[in-house]
Amino acid sequence: MQQTRPDLGAASSYSFPKPERVRVGNGTVVAVDLPGQQLISLRLVHPFGGAVEPLDAMGVTALTSEVLEDGPDGNSSLAPALERYGAEWVARANWDGFITGLDAPINRLGDAVGLFSDAVRRPALKADDIVRRRDQLLERFWLEAASASTLAMRSLGGQLFTGRYATPLAGGPVKLADITPERVAAFHADTIAAYAGTLVVVGDLSGVDLEELGRGVFGDTAAVPERRITEPAPPPGELPRVLVVDRPGSVQSALVIAHRAPSRSQVELPRAEGISEVLGGMFTSRLNMELRERLGYTYGAGSRFDLRRDSGVFFMSTQVEASTTAHSVTSSFEQIAKLRASGVTEDELAAVRESNIVGLPVAYSTARAVAGALVDIVVHDLPDDNVDRVRAGYEKLTAQDLNSAAVEYLRPEEAVVVVVGDAESLRGPLTETGVGPVEVRSPESLWS
Amino acid sequence: MHALVTTMGTAGRVDQYTLDNGLRLVTAPASTGQVASVNLWYGVGSRHEVPGRTGFAHLFEHLMFQGTGNTEKGDHFDAVERLGGDINASTSTDRTNYFETVPTHALDLILWLEADRLATLREGMTQEVLDNQRDVVKNERRQRYENQPYGTALERILRLAYPVGHPYHHPTIGSMADLDAADLDYVKSFHKLHYGPDNCVLTIVSDLESADVLARVEKYFGHIPARDDIPEVPDPVLRVPMGGPVRDSVTETVPAAGVFIGFRVPAYGERGHDAAQLASAVLGQGQGSRLYRSLVVDRPIAADDGGAGADILPFRYTDSLLLVNMLAREGVDGDILEKAIREEVAKLADGIADDELERARAVLERDHLHHISSPSGLADTIGSCTQLFDDPELAFTWPRRWADITAEEVRAAAERFLVDENMLVVRFDPEAEA
Repeated sequence: MQQTRPDLGAASSYSFPKPERVRVGNGTVVAVDLPGQQLISLRLVHPFGGAVEPLDAMGVTALTSEVLEDGPDGNSSLAPALERYGAEWVARANWDGFITGLDAPINRLGDAVGLFSDAVRRPALKADDIVRRRDQLLERFWLEAASASTLAMRSLGGQLFTGRYATPLAGGPVKLADITPERVAAFHADTIAAYAGTLVVVGDLSGVDLEELGRGVFGDTAAVPERRITEPAPPPGELPRVLVVDRPGSVQSALVIAHRAPSRSQVELPRAEGISEVLGGMFTSRLNMELRERLGYTYGAGSRFDLRRDSGVFFMSTQVEASTTAHSVTSSFEQIAKLRASGVTEDELAAVRESNIVGLPVAYSTARAVAGALVDIVVHDLPDDNVDRVRAGYEKLTAQDLNSAAVEYLRPEEAVVVVVGDAESLRGPLTETGVGPVEVRSPESLWS
Repeated sequence: MHALVTTMGTAGRVDQYTLDNGLRLVTAPASTGQVASVNLWYGVGSRHEVPGRTGFAHLFEHLMFQGTGNTEKGDHFDAVERLGGDINASTSTDRTNYFETVPTHALDLILWLEADRLATLREGMTQEVLDNQRDVVKNERRQRYENQPYGTALERILRLAYPVGHPYHHPTIGSMADLDAADLDYVKSFHKLHYGPDNCVLTIVSDLESADVLARVEKYFGHIPARDDIPEVPDPVLRVPMGGPVRDSVTETVPAAGVFIGFRVPAYGERGHDAAQLASAVLGQGQGSRLYRSLVVDRPIAADDGGAGADILPFRYTDSLLLVNMLAREGVDGDILEKAIREEVAKLADGIADDELERARAVLERDHLHHISSPSGLADTIGSCTQLFDDPELAFTWPRRWADITAEEVRAAAERFLVDENMLVVRFDPEAEA
């Protein structure tokens, strides 16, 4: 017989696993034991992201991260060596961190970690390898930017910031060309080789000696220095405004509406993330319901914060059928205005609270996900129980908190609208929206 | 003797049941607590579509989220999202799957939602949601195919690989014209024809006892009747070889010349398929692969793809496709790259070293292990192994299939299948600068 819809029972309480911290030499191992998880996730975190690069070496972090894959013997030998252990190399430079690591099966961890340490601390850094990687990275910039949504996201930095953030993380298609092999070697020697960093280890650690692991990875490196934070200034120009990046013949437009936001340490996370979830963080959020589920303009629309140590960005993004571009822009602004004016519904508040309270076992159901949370904790100097603290923040969250967050954190009057699409057909309709002045640029002109 | 990379600790703790209405249930333990992953594999995909109705299985997948006899449009997504759960669905040639990962206490609600849309979808379907989701899917097509450089590659590959009228000739996304032609009656008949408990494998990965899970599934799904009629499946037999090389050359706005090469290889599940998969890993999976070493590092004429130059598109009911794809470096002509790739492919037939094969096995095992290391990945793999092979344990033991395949067997597979007569080429070249 057909059943009636069941009521949800009570959720079990969840606590993020308490990490074990082991100080080894000048570094720290931060470990979480997940019995039964045969794949170990290992991440070495250094606080040398793109944000602290000198302006005459933009892209050196990203390039170094790539070059490490050439390994201690050079000539792209690292990944094949790790592949034989069933291990996977992880290297990721973002704005605030330089992260290297491995995902490896537990029974091959020792071999793989030996190779990993050599790769991070003692890479060959051959000039030929570096030039090859640099040229590949330069070419890849335009290969990837041939996708409209990628081009739109990369166009954003120059609209919101001066200084380092105005150029894409990997140095863009121009600045990176100036990075020499000597510059990469010097950067590596002064940062990744010199400083211990923090080693995150997650998985079934029953047979793993964390001190030995730490000794192998840290050696006699120094403790990482303090970082200085300075907030970058915005570029001149009227706000809000519209930038059309011309992509002739596009059947869809990639649309990003973005503005600056406070830094990670300045925002109250449950309020900020909560209001973003109501607007565009979930499938059932307002933007997706309007642009996809009511109007049928898009395959999906969303929003989120990109919160860095010294500043932040809030953005909404979607790809819409070309002829609906202008209406998609005005509809998005209407959704923000409505949220700011009328606030959230009780149902939306409940969804935000519940999803961030009871959903944690789902969010952290793999070693990789737990390792990701620990990396976040290290990069942003957060307490080890950060996940539980944030959850506690959601437990206390009220409609009033979200309503004030809508006004405080959503700033349409400071927004830049970036549209990647067919400029000839878009300029008129976008001008008619009255959002702000419309400027048309070619992609090639953005990073000269 | 090759040793498996790791022990598959969960093997042997899988339980399988068949309900009276034909629903197959598989349960397995999760390696982290407090979550339940639910995965339904329905045995319907784009191979079941008839001419004039391409893209329908996938459009239908969208409609499964649009309300039922007992729920409103959007309810299903909303219920899972407010649990902080993961939810989605996907359609391929061979199947459509729906999946959720939620905190364990929500398992009953998920089972009810899934059973409800299986039993009462037709009562909630309206012209309005059909029209809306048709627009959404058309935008999905624009986003993934038409507005992406090389986005039409797969469509072109399938067109060359399988003859007109063959059920794999068209891509799952379908054509704009056929999407326009979808009507409400056909939506309802499609549900009746394909969505029955007897056409579903339900996999649940959780930390609950399997008897407990079975009782819950009986409660929510037990009343749903099996289908009256089993639909005929369009004939997937290939009667003539490809007769290659067959080509499709495209000149359009792309950032670099792109080479896509395909070969028909044995169907997924056959030993010849496993040998071909190892050949593809030797050739183009990982940075130790031949294509990466030769064309990205040594020469270097191909763009750095991190070692993803070759892979297999697995089809259970007809020949699979071994696909090779690389993009040219700046200033490198597409012809040069194509010739170099074809030379590397041809060299496989000259012999494969044991250490190359070891690396290839390790890469495939690693990827398999990664996939089953999350509860949702494990549920998906079990669903696949049960739906396609009626053997859930294969999810854990699959890497053993590669263990006793020799370098000579892989070489012989390359010699047999990776030949010009069995080859398709799709070439993209940038428009000449004005």
